[in-house]
Amino acid sequence: MSSGFEKGSAASEQLSALADGEVDAAAAGAACAAWKTDTELRRTWHAWHLIGDVLRSEDLASSAERDQRFLVALRGRLALEPVVLAPAPAAAPGRRAGGRWLLPSAVAAGFTLVVGTFVVLGPMGTPAPATTLARVTPPAVESPVVPASVREPAAPVQAVAVNGRMIRDPRLEPYLVAHKQFAGTSALGVPSTFLRAETVDTEPR
Amino acid sequence: MNAPDVDTPLIERVKQGDVKAFEMLVVKYQRRIERLIGRMVRDVDLVPDIAQETFIRAYRAIPQFRGDSAFYTWLYRIAVNTAKKALMDLKRDPLVTESARANREEDDERSPVENELSDGETPDAVLASKQIAAAVNFAIEGLSEELRQAITLREIEGLSYEEIAELMNCPIGTVRSRIFRAREAIATRLRPLLDTREGDRW
Repeated sequence: MSSGFEKGSAASEQLSALADGEVDAAAAGAACAAWKTDTELRRTWHAWHLIGDVLRSEDLASSAERDQRFLVALRGRLALEPVVLAPAPAAAPGRRAGGRWLLPSAVAAGFTLVVGTFVVLGPMGTPAPATTLARVTPPAVESPVVPASVREPAAPVQAVAVNGRMIRDPRLEPYLVAHKQFAGTSALGVPSTFLRAETVDTEPR
Repeated sequence: MNAPDVDTPLIERVKQGDVKAFEMLVVKYQRRIERLIGRMVRDVDLVPDIAQETFIRAYRAIPQFRGDSAFYTWLYRIAVNTAKKALMDLKRDPLVTESARANREEDDERSPVENELSDGETPDAVLASKQIAAAVNFAIEGLSEELRQAITLREIEGLSYEEIAELMNCPIGTVRSRIFRAREAIATRLRPLLDTREGDRW
């Protein structure tokens, strides 16, 4: 209660305007600063929003005790979270674009690395890279995208060294082509829905 | 987006690392989020947990919130996804809640009816909610026409100060002050019902 937040004060009128989004960021900053120490401000903020909720729909009426318990419990959990730091708004457009191609590029780079290793080490007949590749490929190969023309016996897909030359299973071609395309388009930006869903659904640990 | 989101000033604060701003948003939206989840999940005991999870997920994801939709719309989606996931986990492992319920019945002497109700729906809580709704309505009736119109246009119709100023034919500063005075008057009436037994832990 140490701040200047009192009934009828200019600060509390500012808070009311903040509840309606009718103030600038500076006023929001002042309220947030007071929020930490000012019980009266927290109680008022709750009461005003409860009033708004009840005016819109009576079944939103809830006891202050219950709402308080909810916040206290959440506060405990928030304290364990890393502090949020988003890029400053001025830098946002560039960074956002960066965010869009970063993930696909990383994925593409990962595959390039695997294929690259295969290409470099393959002719030497080292078995390890071939095994790695074989392990990565089956899901893509089994997909219906594979053209009928490359039908082969149902043997596991493998890269084999014949007469010192590395021969790649032809069914790998559509897979590699698909990923080449992916890498190409990603520089222009992929649809953001994928990234957004990823962030919301799988980011929490 | 046609109008700027009313939560923009607070969201900007959260993005700068101000967790207090996020608490303010929680206090604002908690009831709506809990009601939404309550409509999806039958077990009322799970509602607060899922709501907590929703806000934690929102907090983690807020750097990616770009304001393409209103903050509440975005939060709503997170709540729906979180509730769906909770329901799926429950289907996979129903024993978790079954055993929790069994435990509760063992060490609980309350009547069977009360056992069915969560903390949020005990007769006491239902009564408290009804009293609060009645007090708000009563307080609204007691306001002057100007104050009542201003708060109604803002809270029920969702109009901006500028739109209300146009409708009520007065300066924006007057709208701001009328809404504020209406809130104070209603909150004063509500105060005795909102003082908590547990003391001030807000």
